[in-house]
Amino acid sequence: MKPSVLLRHVNGVSTALKCTHPPCKGRLFRPVASKLFSTTQHQRATESIAASPIDFDSFQSTQLSRDILRKVRVVPASPSYFTGKPDFTDNLLSLQALLRKYQTLPVVQPGHAPRIAWKTHAQYKVSVSEPVKAAKYGKIVQLLHRLNHIHPSLVPEEVLEALQLYKRDVNPYDNVAVLQTVDPYGRARGVGRRKTSTATVWLVEGEGEVLINGKSLSQAFGRIHDRESAIWALKATKRIGRYNVWALVRGGGITGQAEALTLAVAKALMVHEPALKPALRRAGCVTRDPRIVERKKPGKLKARKMPAWVKR
Amino acid sequence: MPPSTCLRCLPIRPAPSPRPVLLCHIALPPAQTAAFSTTTNLSAAVAKKRPNSHTGPPKRGVKALNIKKTQRIKSGRPPAPGERKALRKRIVLSNTNALEVQGMPDLSDKNITDASLVCRVVGIPGLVVDSLRAVEAFKPTQGWGLFRRPAALVRKETLQLGRYIQEVETAEGKKTIRRVVVGERGSGKSTLLLQAMTMAFVKGWVVVNIPDAKDLTIGHTEYGPLFNTNPTQYVQKTYTANLLSQISKANKAVLSKLQLSQQHDLPIPIQSNISLDRLADLGARDPDVAYPIFQALWAELTAPSTKGAVRPPILFTLDGINQIMRYSAYLSSDVKPIHAHDLALVRHFINALSGAQALPNGGIVLAATCESGKPPSPTLELAVAQSEARVAGAEEVPQPHPYKAMDQRVLDSMRDVEVLRLKGLDKDEARGIMEYYAASGMLRERVDEGLVAEKWTLAGGGVVGELERESVRMRI
Repeated sequence: MKPSVLLRHVNGVSTALKCTHPPCKGRLFRPVASKLFSTTQHQRATESIAASPIDFDSFQSTQLSRDILRKVRVVPASPSYFTGKPDFTDNLLSLQALLRKYQTLPVVQPGHAPRIAWKTHAQYKVSVSEPVKAAKYGKIVQLLHRLNHIHPSLVPEEVLEALQLYKRDVNPYDNVAVLQTVDPYGRARGVGRRKTSTATVWLVEGEGEVLINGKSLSQAFGRIHDRESAIWALKATKRIGRYNVWALVRGGGITGQAEALTLAVAKALMVHEPALKPALRRAGCVTRDPRIVERKKPGKLKARKMPAWVKR
Repeated sequence: MPPSTCLRCLPIRPAPSPRPVLLCHIALPPAQTAAFSTTTNLSAAVAKKRPNSHTGPPKRGVKALNIKKTQRIKSGRPPAPGERKALRKRIVLSNTNALEVQGMPDLSDKNITDASLVCRVVGIPGLVVDSLRAVEAFKPTQGWGLFRRPAALVRKETLQLGRYIQEVETAEGKKTIRRVVVGERGSGKSTLLLQAMTMAFVKGWVVVNIPDAKDLTIGHTEYGPLFNTNPTQYVQKTYTANLLSQISKANKAVLSKLQLSQQHDLPIPIQSNISLDRLADLGARDPDVAYPIFQALWAELTAPSTKGAVRPPILFTLDGINQIMRYSAYLSSDVKPIHAHDLALVRHFINALSGAQALPNGGIVLAATCESGKPPSPTLELAVAQSEARVAGAEEVPQPHPYKAMDQRVLDSMRDVEVLRLKGLDKDEARGIMEYYAASGMLRERVDEGLVAEKWTLAGGGVVGELERESVRMRI
């Protein structure tokens, strides 16, 4: 077995695993005697196992270099190799060093830093492929949190780069809902869904008239329960006589359409009166009901129904 | 682990004959331990195994599934013929549990044009109730049985009808007003007809009402051709006899004062100065002579008034006009469907509605559409749209579809009839009727602006039938 080949191979795997991470700067290449490295090689198969690859080509095949090679011993690049969780330890130490370096920079008020979703514990464990405990990762998050509070106008590039490594791929806090407004004609638009129905509502101030797909409320829904569902948001906030509803509903059945209208009316009402949101939430008009029909499974008559038992 | 028999031997209370526990285990066979117990079911006889008990899967060729159909137990006698229908058509006009509304005015000949009564519920006088019942103006689906006594909301259209009646009475040369009442289901069309009849009875008019035109056209009453008519007309003599009896009963007070004034060619001999209610009764008694007598009665009613014999105006109403604006369910002798306008009674009404037959003493011809289970009548819909466009003075009157057959007879009959469209109540009217519900004790909520607005919206914009349904009928 050629040690050089093995070393390069191992290094290739680790770079593929950790492509988002730059190589750790603290690691040094220390040529020492060659005896120990083969035994540790088989036990661990990540980047942190030992050291940077040895470039054998740089050695001339002279007698002198052969003598040197005989004395070479591979030692771990990072001193935290023997901690058992070298990547985690390196990360923690580097963040601590960073904080020590910039701890005098002014910070923003607590809670005023840009909202960033850090990697979850599970995501971090996958990225370092080490068994890191939640509490230990909590220490990293604490440091990240502190670094994130450095005043945005003064954040060093180095800190930004370091923080980048711990961010989730997609920051959910970047996704800010577009603020709806009442248009110049006084209409507020709201969209609601339930089961397979979709409702779009335009709400204007008026006397409590309702038109759904061009039909009155009583023509659109035969059941009084459905009629109440459709304008439940207005009823719960005592606004029935103050707004006119003009709605289009598509898809689904009668109940689905009525309850899609509930949500759509509530959203349009929140455009007119944003302060009603808590009241509407208490009335159950803000959250979309996520339940949909359960899929049919093979071997079953419906989603769960089993065929009738037949004796042999 | 001790054996179970021994555990069973352990007495819960002292046994009648104390015996060492160990001895029981050694000396007695397990079967006798039952006597030791105080419970009865252990000593009871073991149930005999039934051959098809569930000891295992059934044998081959044996039916495993044994579901017996439950036998319907017949108790009592079956309902007599017509009993169920009578129950279905039963009209209840009073609810003794409902409160009597204090200060509710009655409709009278003085106040039918009183604009201050709009948005108020007005009672129907007791004598008129009997007449209305006789002409079947009350419908079983209406909510009369929910309240103490029959009463109806005076809405703007009701006031309009009152003005029509006044107009007819005061007009020079005896005016005839012809209207078709249209509106969505539950919008109060039949009730408006009832209010018109109430006013007519109060005013001393003669009221002729065809309560449901469906009865004439769906083939549920006998029919026969009328001789010497071209195209052939068909007479429904039993229905006519029934109609005559209704006319006689409902208008007795008016007709008993009127006497025969003309010569009629009738199949039965009649007294020359017979009163008109007795004439109608004669026709009601014998279906064979019903139609000629109906014609004679109509001729008498429409005879020009003289000083000696003043003829009152007539209110001629029909509910469910969309049933007669199409082919009927009857077949002619050459097995062709008969157009509803070829039925003699229907034609009689259509002539009055279209103005082909005048009412020389004045009167109102009113028809209402019926939206429940309505048969398709596209021509009537077109005629209504045309009439509305004409009245509104629209530049373009809707034209018939070029590639669809339209019923020309229907278009002709509706040519210059005006349409009275009933929409939902407005908020004030809704409040008026809801206060009546509350005063009757049938709506147990405070009637305020919020409640009225809510019910008004839920009723699809104040559709009165829906308003009643959700305020009174659906009360939890």
